[in-house]
Amino acid sequence: MLRVDNLTVCYGQMQALRGVSMEVSPGEMVALIGGNGAGKTTLLNTISGLITPAGGSLSWEGRPLNGLTPDMICRQGIVQVPEGRKLFPAMTVEENLIMGAYLPAVRKQSRESLRKVYDIFPRLADRRRQLAGSMSGGEQQMAALGRALMARPRLLMLDEPSLGLSPKAAAEIFGTIKVLNKEGLSVLLVSQEVLETLAITAHGYVLENGVVALKGPSSELREDPKVKTSYLGL
Amino acid sequence: MDAVLIIQSLISGIMMGMVYALLSVGFSLTWGVMHVIHISHAAFGLLGAYLAYSLLQYFGMDPVVSAAVSVPLLFLLACGIYQLLIRPITRAKEVIVASMILTFGLAIILENVMVLIWKADPRVLTPTYASGALIVGPFYFQYPHLVGFGLSILGITAIYLFLKKTYTGMAVRAAWQQPEAAQLYGVNLYRISMITFALAVSTAGAGGISLALLNSFEPHSHNLWLIYLFLVVIVGGVGNVIGTALAGLIIGVITGLSMAFLPYQWVNLVTFGLLMIFLIFRPHGLFKQGV
Repeated sequence: MLRVDNLTVCYGQMQALRGVSMEVSPGEMVALIGGNGAGKTTLLNTISGLITPAGGSLSWEGRPLNGLTPDMICRQGIVQVPEGRKLFPAMTVEENLIMGAYLPAVRKQSRESLRKVYDIFPRLADRRRQLAGSMSGGEQQMAALGRALMARPRLLMLDEPSLGLSPKAAAEIFGTIKVLNKEGLSVLLVSQEVLETLAITAHGYVLENGVVALKGPSSELREDPKVKTSYLGL
Repeated sequence: MDAVLIIQSLISGIMMGMVYALLSVGFSLTWGVMHVIHISHAAFGLLGAYLAYSLLQYFGMDPVVSAAVSVPLLFLLACGIYQLLIRPITRAKEVIVASMILTFGLAIILENVMVLIWKADPRVLTPTYASGALIVGPFYFQYPHLVGFGLSILGITAIYLFLKKTYTGMAVRAAWQQPEAAQLYGVNLYRISMITFALAVSTAGAGGISLALLNSFEPHSHNLWLIYLFLVVIVGGVGNVIGTALAGLIIGVITGLSMAFLPYQWVNLVTFGLLMIFLIFRPHGLFKQGV
């Protein structure tokens, strides 16, 4: 479905990604783990079209993604929930959600999508008139996830969805992501909650200094001695 | 000081203030959304006034009717200017500085074009109802002032509803608050910037027509108008439409009262003294920033 081949990204002189290859198959949930500065966010932003790669290729269902602008990527159904949520702080929760369905193709179904999001997160329905910037971290993450669902994703990319959340709120978000994946949505999950992430994903990639250091089924990665010492603190 | 004079100047101040607000709201948006400080904004307003003047002079079109022609015309002109001049400089490191220098030059060009076409003499808009007035008890309101006031309210309301109720308007706000996320959900920043810029120039045109119904104007009037733009936007908060409208009213009332009770040469001193006080003590304005 999504295929990343030998991708290289440079920030000036610094190489943030050095020949990264990875794949997400339909309906699969894939983990992307690694320390700070390993290049996880850079990879997601390159897939989303915010960053232009220096080399390598990206393809989606066999068609190349290289050179497409972020709005065209979103139109393909590749939707990102960015790190730090990046809600529109001075807009209400409902306005934030509606902005998720900005593209004309999904705009027509926005009423129906809105109902679905409120079904998943009833708390967002209670807060629909509240400004997004005034909510708690957990509620903001719900709104950010809800906004992404409004775009009718076929591949959902989540960047650190549990960052800064209470354990309870984090568990709720992970639970929702799991349910969405069970319903058939493909997910690329970036997270520092390595144990939790490897528990709910099928495959995983470990990124270190811009290269894929390890890859394989998540159950095997969990048992890998290197993962254990570097990421699980065992 | 008698009460009638105070109330009369308060009301003229409010009318004036609404016109300032319409003239400023676009300036505030381009500043907030695009980080472009559009120095030629008021010159485009003046261009709107001159277009209204010529359409009235040669075709007998009422300024309000001709606005339906000239405002869309300004929109198209602004789209072209955005593509040709503004878009390239939004890639500069210091967009604010680059945009100020570029549009300062544009203002000078526009001013000279207006001198060439319309000569340097002061002009007034004289629609058929120019000499009429509405008299209510001891108060009187000249019809052109009422029409200019009405046009301003219409313009401000239209832009407010556009930003709140339409997808494109919401995209303008989203792009201002969180450009990266806006892009991720399909907002094309260049397209939104072009629309913001063109819409701002159009509202400047409508504001210029409104102001021309209240005051006389000449090709260099935009320099003074520009200072009012800065004043209104700084008091109202960059990018805030309601704040801009309220700030316009406040400044209009202050100007109106000082015109009534102070010698003429003191009026601008009061206004720009106010601007300096604001810059020192409340540089973010009275109201919150943001659309």
